[in-house]
Amino acid sequence: MAVLSLDHVSYTYGEGTPFEIKALDDVSLTVREGSVTGIIGHTGSGKSTMVQLFNGLERPMQGRVLLDGQDIWTEPKKMREIRFRVGLVMQYPEYQLFEETVGADIAFGPRNIGLDEEEVARRVAEAATLVGLPKDLLDRSPFELSGGEKRRAAIAGIMAMKPEILVLDEPAAGLDPRGRDIILNAIRSYGKHTGATVIIVSHSMEDMAAYCDDIVVMAHAKVALSGTRDEVFANAEALTAVGLDVPQITRLALLLRARGVDIPDGIYTVEAATRALRKLFGKGRTV
Amino acid sequence: MKNIAFGQYYPARSPLHTMDARMKVVLSVLYIVAAFLCKSAPAYAALLASAVVLLLLSRIPPRIVLRSLRPLFFIMIFTALLNLFFSGGTTVLFSFWRITVYVEGVYSAVFMLVRIVVLIFGTSIFLTYTTTPIELTDAIESLLSPLRILKLPVHEFAMMMSIALRFIPTLMEETSKIMNAQKARGVDFSSGGLIKRAKALVPILIPLIVSSFRRADELAMAMECRCYRGGKGRTKMTVPKLSVLDFVALAFMVAFGGTLLYLNGFRFGL
Amino acid sequence: MREAFIHTKDLCYAYTDENGTRQPVLRGITLDIARGEYVAVLGHNGSGKSTFAKLLNMIIEPESGELVVAGKNLTSEELTEEDFYALRREVGMVFQNPDNQLVATIVEEDVAFGPENLGVPPKEIRARVDAALATVGMTEYARHEPHRLSGGQKQRVAIAGILVMEPTCIILDEATAMLDPAGRKEVIETVEALNREKGITVISITHHMNEAARAERVIVIDDGVVIMDGTPREVFSEPKKLMLAGLDVPQCTSLVHALRAEGVALDGDPVTAEECAELICRALEV
Repeated sequence: MAVLSLDHVSYTYGEGTPFEIKALDDVSLTVREGSVTGIIGHTGSGKSTMVQLFNGLERPMQGRVLLDGQDIWTEPKKMREIRFRVGLVMQYPEYQLFEETVGADIAFGPRNIGLDEEEVARRVAEAATLVGLPKDLLDRSPFELSGGEKRRAAIAGIMAMKPEILVLDEPAAGLDPRGRDIILNAIRSYGKHTGATVIIVSHSMEDMAAYCDDIVVMAHAKVALSGTRDEVFANAEALTAVGLDVPQITRLALLLRARGVDIPDGIYTVEAATRALRKLFGKGRTV
Repeated sequence: MKNIAFGQYYPARSPLHTMDARMKVVLSVLYIVAAFLCKSAPAYAALLASAVVLLLLSRIPPRIVLRSLRPLFFIMIFTALLNLFFSGGTTVLFSFWRITVYVEGVYSAVFMLVRIVVLIFGTSIFLTYTTTPIELTDAIESLLSPLRILKLPVHEFAMMMSIALRFIPTLMEETSKIMNAQKARGVDFSSGGLIKRAKALVPILIPLIVSSFRRADELAMAMECRCYRGGKGRTKMTVPKLSVLDFVALAFMVAFGGTLLYLNGFRFGL
Repeated sequence: MREAFIHTKDLCYAYTDENGTRQPVLRGITLDIARGEYVAVLGHNGSGKSTFAKLLNMIIEPESGELVVAGKNLTSEELTEEDFYALRREVGMVFQNPDNQLVATIVEEDVAFGPENLGVPPKEIRARVDAALATVGMTEYARHEPHRLSGGQKQRVAIAGILVMEPTCIILDEATAMLDPAGRKEVIETVEALNREKGITVISITHHMNEAARAERVIVIDDGVVIMDGTPREVFSEPKKLMLAGLDVPQCTSLVHALRAEGVALDGDPVTAEECAELICRALEV
């Protein structure tokens, strides 16, 4: 599998115009191999630019994007191969569906790779199973599916290319809780199933807390905070300082600590909070 | 992608910004006529000078207006070269191989260039940089309103224009997003023969068309919810009003045309 | 008891699919919404919640049942075209996609669109547009192009575009679904202020629990029927029922339920982190 990293990368939009915006400012980071890494930050914090740098849709103005230690821009002609290795699911990917059938649409990427039809069919079936699309939907037009199903079909289209690194920009945006859970679970199981590294960009702290191993927090074009999920949430005050919404349960823990309740750092799930509070209540007189 | 120089409105406070859009439409038509009236070097010089004056009056940074010439650069050079090589004349400047360049050719190339630059400058300063698209479509609607007697859908036409203007940036942004999404799936837009490249457009065009229909549908619903029912009984927030300034500008434009005609009387190389 | 602004009885809606089969979406909705109420309508995608919203200002017409809005019986036969305009003036709608509801290329021109359609005199339009932009805090963007605004700002412009028609009710049809948390907050705070200060009835169609938790009343629609209706506290006190309807519960509510299941004595069903902290501190006596 592969390691993706940014080495002192800067990127500016509309350089020299009145609309100049610095999207990334000397950013360096390495995504741990085989992890599910979350990138979080406000709109305009540079996270969407970062995603497009990962697979060479944008070229850094300074610095390098490294895949297994190799600068992906050494041979721009071979960028297509890089894109097969670093799969990107853009925001609202259902708008990229165009084939006559869902199956053909999922097969589009694998066919572009140049795989034989047998392998293509195998991958389509595999990807459809991963995202939980029933077989009979594969022969339907993608435009007949529900919103959540369309999203799953589009993501399956990238998964079927079997990228070593799967990058998703806001994969759950606009979905209801059930749709969100189906998609985030499918993404996690892709990582487990193939050993690939998964990078999820999101602005939902609650999703990050539930689904990611590592978290990178972006603010003002720089990395504000990064580390394992436990490390990042142990710094919950720093998260609120950059104006991000921490999960409600983390906020509760902060409130309780402020009032002198002896609750540990780094609480980000209901289960952890239940365990910690159960202990506190157990000590004194309860029930 | 958000900053396409689509001859877009440039907010500033200038006499040209405050003028009635209808007058600006009339003036730009007159200005085009004036540009074609020019026949002599002094007249062309005056024309070029007028463009500079317009630019100064509009208080728009010259850099921005110059940018609007860029897409037409190729056409301008091509037209100038055509004029340079294929204009007949009497005074030979030089000749090589089978091509002879006459002094008149040089003149006509320069004149053509000046005319194109001035036309673009004039119309874009009058109509797009100092006039909002809404003002412009309202002006066209108002100027064309006599045609309503002929049962022509003037209001609908103006509404269509303004919606198109509103959605051009949105659709351009969407196109670039879809292109990126398909590139990520291995579509290659930059290599292969004509047929291969045309084929690569299918994954762009279909999603774009589908999404345009969806947008049209949603917009129609939103407009209905805001009580839209065509031009009948409709009022406007900003009622255009001709002011003294507009008539003064008109007078100047007519005077300018007269001056050009007068200058035509002078011969080349005077 | 406040005056009922919206009254429905056995309201049904169905469409016919391409095979000619009838597909029911709403299967008998009976409820009353009072003037000035702030109601969240919750449901997963496809539950029928959006269809319900579209019925309220007759974008689509009910199949059967009774629908009264602002004292006008919309299911009676004799509705004139003018009645439709009157209804839409009174009940404004903000849609999901901020890009697909702005008509004009300049913010203030867009806001003026509604009253222009209604034939309001120019001077009055000007005054109303300025006031509406000030109310949603977009005055400084009056001459901007909508496509350069953020999602939250676009939705605020859309809200201003409804305010100028002086409505008594605003429906947000998943108006925050495509926004980031900051944009969502902008929009929610804007409509909350309208509800509080101008007494405008707000009906917010959403699947975000945190938004619903801020409303006075939550109505949960699942499979075309109302399955829960009450204060956020009442509704969130039944997490199992909500989960079955494909919805989330605020984390604090789940926590209290989990603790109670383990035998910790806590009474009350907190919805916000503050309420929950208060409850736990009281129980721990700190």
